[in-house]
Amino acid sequence: MSRIPYSPSEEVDAVVVGTGAGGSPLLARLAAAGLSVVALEAGRVLDPVRDFARDEEAQGFLFWNDERLSAGDDPVAFGRNNSGTGVGGSTLHYTAYTVRAQPADLRLKTDFGVAEDWPFDYEALAPYYDEVEATIGVSGPSPYPWGPARTPYPLKPLPLNGAAQLMQRGCEALGIRTSPAANAALSGSYATDGTHFRPACHNCGFCQAGCATGAKGSADVTWLPLAVAAGAEIRPECYVTGFERDGTGRITAVVYRTPRGDERQRCRAVFLCAGAIETPRLLLLNGLANGSGQVGRNFMAHTGIQVWGQFDDFVRPFKGIPGGLISEDTHRPADADFAGGYLLQSIGVMPVTYASQVARGRKLWGPQLRAHMRGYNNTAGINILGDCLPYGHNYMELSDELDARGLPKPRVHFTMGENERRMTEHADRLMQRIWEAAGARDIWSFPRNAHIIGTARMGADADGSVVDPDGKAHDVPNLYISDNSTWPSALGANPALTIMALSLRTADRFLANRGA
Amino acid sequence: MDKDTSAAVPRRDGSATAGLRDHRYPAGTFAGLIGTPFVTAPTRAALTARLAKPAVTAPRFLDAGEFALLGAVCDRLLDQDGERRIDVPGAIDARLASGETDGWRYDELPDDGSAMKRGLAGFDETARAMAGRGFLELPLDDRDRVIEAVQGGHPAGRAWAALPAKRFFEDLLAAATEAYYAHPLAQEEIGYVGYADARGWQQIELGQREAREPEPVGAAL
Ligand SMILES: Cc1cc2nc3c(=O)[nH]c(=O)nc-3n(C[C@H](O)[C@H](O)[C@H](O)COP(=O)(O)OP(=O)(O)OC[C@H]3O[C@@H](n4cnc5c(N)ncnc54)[C@H](O)[C@@H]3O)c2cc1C
Ligand code: SF4
Repeated sequence: MSRIPYSPSEEVDAVVVGTGAGGSPLLARLAAAGLSVVALEAGRVLDPVRDFARDEEAQGFLFWNDERLSAGDDPVAFGRNNSGTGVGGSTLHYTAYTVRAQPADLRLKTDFGVAEDWPFDYEALAPYYDEVEATIGVSGPSPYPWGPARTPYPLKPLPLNGAAQLMQRGCEALGIRTSPAANAALSGSYATDGTHFRPACHNCGFCQAGCATGAKGSADVTWLPLAVAAGAEIRPECYVTGFERDGTGRITAVVYRTPRGDERQRCRAVFLCAGAIETPRLLLLNGLANGSGQVGRNFMAHTGIQVWGQFDDFVRPFKGIPGGLISEDTHRPADADFAGGYLLQSIGVMPVTYASQVARGRKLWGPQLRAHMRGYNNTAGINILGDCLPYGHNYMELSDELDARGLPKPRVHFTMGENERRMTEHADRLMQRIWEAAGARDIWSFPRNAHIIGTARMGADADGSVVDPDGKAHDVPNLYISDNSTWPSALGANPALTIMALSLRTADRFLANRGA
Repeated sequence: MDKDTSAAVPRRDGSATAGLRDHRYPAGTFAGLIGTPFVTAPTRAALTARLAKPAVTAPRFLDAGEFALLGAVCDRLLDQDGERRIDVPGAIDARLASGETDGWRYDELPDDGSAMKRGLAGFDETARAMAGRGFLELPLDDRDRVIEAVQGGHPAGRAWAALPAKRFFEDLLAAATEAYYAHPLAQEEIGYVGYADARGWQQIELGQREAREPEPVGAAL
């Protein structure tokens, strides 16, 4: 039945642009439904065993390194800080922290009168959360202490590393509840129908530079093999630049560059899943789906301040799953002077990443830098993942400067609002207290903003949003978007799990509409 | 730990390093581990190549004068001197020559190459304004004062009119620091053997040490 590889002149049912968190689950779903699907991915196919060194610098190829311009008062760092490439997208280097959003995260406007509500509630996502957790293999505690009742995690929690134990110590002293965190890294070997057995995580702690064992639930070892087994074709090193349309505005083909030259793939539908900068960039470059003028607007980045300390105990912070411990007691703090809330996460860290943050955050140099770094093995961190409101002043646009491919570089404006500042201060005070209670010395804070969200908002109103609640563009009948760009608000939870859940929902809505 | 940065203002000043642990590993730790089965083949290849790379003497992006100046600044930033320096300026020049970026830059700064050339010219101008001589002709204490002025954000010199000094300094310091701590010998100095993880780690809790992790030699407390 399978006709892969498909010929570009053949009209396939769907083209998926990008194979990260937003593109991979729906690719698997559409293929399983019997559709002919081709994924176009700018990055390469990687073989973790052959290609992945356990070295931060050598792994630089995992990142999206086309230059972006960072503007505003709190410019956001990209590259290894935010965006990946390769078959698997940013899931290749995510740290696999896979907490769910809580129901209240989806209704900030109702509860606080700010931002936007999501066009559906938590119940619409819950079954998809279950499915994603089972497919990628999430390890976590059951029962889980926060949020609504839920299906037990498929795997027991991972062991706690030194940073997690220290956060536990500090939180216990202050009466803050903690729990082992949910992570998409296997606490035991695991397989689901249609996937290969994957080994248990061996605590190397290298998730952020790529998992060489297959224990991490990245797309390349989960959704993408499922998709290929069901007949999908994944075409690497295909950089999409444009779309051909007919007189009615439907997209008829996707145009892309390959090492062999330019090609075009004919198709009946397109799923744009290139991430929250490249997706709006492609739309703006092609003058597509922007009747509302909202493409590129409402850029958000989670508040993510980190607090570091050095301890008398050996921590050796490179070992174990980096984000071992969580507290969601701060989801809606009683003494908050801001809307929304945040979660607390213990953090281990690789040496070059830590050194770089010491340079940028503290500007230590000379003998002070060298002395501080000799305490690396005694270093542990906590950070938050906090909500972020959409603002008119935060957006991405096309600049006049061309990149190496000859296309305008994106410029991204980001300035924290009052809400983000207050949340950051609240969290900073609390984390400093936790570290003091745990016995840290030389405590220092590194305010930062993480993840790239918004820029192609989902909503029921065609004048105020780019896609409808199914993920379909208001202005283009056969264009869907599935990645971090569609979120109406940032949610107080790390994004990847929810992006994957939403991806499955988008596929199901598409299949339902198609059948109708 | 998803990622680092936004251009954060430090909340506390970084002077309080006294009294902290000092956990350098004995010289030879890296050499002893790199050939063992604890290191995967791609890891061994990457680290061995980095260690074996000869220091750059003929820069490809900067001119000889600029390169010497960059070397002198980096020596102060990383407190390096003598024969066995880790070649930080060579790594920076190589990256500029390749035209590769790290995926972003501050909108206020020009492209990485122009920023570097202007910034280096700026160091020299500031040196002349503060001490009447070029940076390379200054004693070490005066070099440090020039660096502090650039770090402070308002150094003397026309070059800085078109280059925000604080942002440039942050980028330069981050690039130099990353190049330094990516080197196996710098990792030995901070007691890091995370590259030797082909068989994972079993001793991951507080205070635990795996048999292949040596006792630190730095004893300061
Ligand atoms: C270091 C790090 C750690 C992280 N840790 C976590 C974590 O612990 N938990 C969590 O929830 N999230 C984490 N994240 C964030 C998470 O990885 C992202 O939010 C998520 O992967 C975004 O999914 P996406 O589908 O929007 O984009 P991506 O996953 O980035 O996928 C986009 C894909 O599109 C491709 N593409 C782009 N443009 C084109 C084009 N023109 N043509 C063809 N292909 C194109 C890209 O190559 C890429 O493969 C982390 C991120 C980083 C950088
Ligand atoms: S810690 Fe576990 S999940 Fe992370 S990279 Fe290592 S083996 Fe993979």
